[in-house]
Amino acid sequence: MDIDDILRDVDPVIHTIPREKRDLQDLTRAWVAERSAPELLHWPSDGLFERINNSIRRQIEKVEEMTGDMDPKTNFALIVIQTELERFKYLVRSYLRARIAKIDRHTLHYLSSDELRSRLSEMELAYATRHQALLHNHYLSSFLSSFPPGLQNLNDTAGNISMIDTPDLESAVFIRLLRDTLVEGRGVDSDGRLEMEESDIVILRWADAKPLVQLGNAELV
Amino acid sequence: MAHPLPPGLTQAEVAFVAEMELVTIIPRQRLESIDLLSGKTPVLRPPHRAELPLWLALLLKKQRRANIVPPPWLHPASLTEIILRETKENPEAFSPPPPPPSRAHPREPGRARRLAESDADISPPFQPSCTAAAPAGYLPYHWLEVAEALLAHAGDDMPVPAGEVRSLLRDLVEVRAAKMRSSTSQLEGFGGGLMSLRGVGAMELAESRGFVLGVVDGVRKIGASAEATRREEEEAGGGRHDDDESDDDMGI
Repeated sequence: MDIDDILRDVDPVIHTIPREKRDLQDLTRAWVAERSAPELLHWPSDGLFERINNSIRRQIEKVEEMTGDMDPKTNFALIVIQTELERFKYLVRSYLRARIAKIDRHTLHYLSSDELRSRLSEMELAYATRHQALLHNHYLSSFLSSFPPGLQNLNDTAGNISMIDTPDLESAVFIRLLRDTLVEGRGVDSDGRLEMEESDIVILRWADAKPLVQLGNAELV
Repeated sequence: MAHPLPPGLTQAEVAFVAEMELVTIIPRQRLESIDLLSGKTPVLRPPHRAELPLWLALLLKKQRRANIVPPPWLHPASLTEIILRETKENPEAFSPPPPPPSRAHPREPGRARRLAESDADISPPFQPSCTAAAPAGYLPYHWLEVAEALLAHAGDDMPVPAGEVRSLLRDLVEVRAAKMRSSTSQLEGFGGGLMSLRGVGAMELAESRGFVLGVVDGVRKIGASAEATRREEEEAGGGRHDDDESDDDMGI
């Protein structure tokens, strides 16, 4: 029997990372990935943001309670809690703003297919549809109604060229490998494949890096 | 625009992430455990050491409630060794990143293994690479940000005068910046699909990100038609002897 196995039998919690720390790590990783990727990534499906929003709300209530308490000992704890709260709120806000920027740039593209729509959260989906409807009405009333009826379509795909802007999926990104994996990348003159080790940083096209990131073998940096 | 910045973290954002690194402190006052969003802080009982995130350690240091223990890799001896490794032993690539925390295998002497399987997904800044238990002689991913923060706010906690550490850091920054610049000249021939930058630091990435990604994207766009022809040829069967045909296709 191994000391680790014995410990794990006695206290199964001892080797696992606490839930809050894992949430912070997931949030940071999601934020860095969203800021670095050229296209919109999936909304985290394990309820990460619901949990974080709830804890932020509870923390704000705690801060309001402690502010009323004039004890000098709680004063310092209050400063620490508020500082950390501001850091968390910055992360969440920046993440949401990065996503909204991507949705704004290519709204019709993300509303076009079901697979792409599933990447948005419910509120983002509502925002995207309403925003697009508003824009469409605005264009109609300004100039679109004076076009001939055959040319009034905003998502026209006739003539081999689509009117919908798609994000450039081949732009380069930096990734860090979390496990030893085989990395394949397409290039101009030749295609490269290399066995890479953990914590290697690689420059790669996003289309080649995407399967690695989705499997959890690499993260965007 | 909701977020007018181009893709990729800016230097300020990288510094923000670096502040989540854990460092070791020696408290000077007792402090109870505070219930934060990222878990409970450890109870502070002087003179026992504790590990806290950098932002909290800097807050305590500014209020003179704690002293920060500089990580072993920031010691002048360690920095000199790293500079030597960067210049003499390996002038092409960066020095390797620190190994992940591991422990001796109980049944196989001489072999180490990872501390726990669930740690396989931890990456900087959540790896404990700036605490007092970190290995010396390796530069962690956020080395420049953490070193600058510690020198600025906790310079009196260093084992040697801060000026000495600062000059060594300047040398190290120069050497690695030169390497970064020379690696961009490799990009001109970015024919292959990928390029490895093992051991590069966070701030160095952030500074050269715009340029490097611009070069790579530019090379890809300029070579797009050549690449398309190459792929068509490969798909059509590599055993073609008729090279003149490709010249005609590329013709005017």
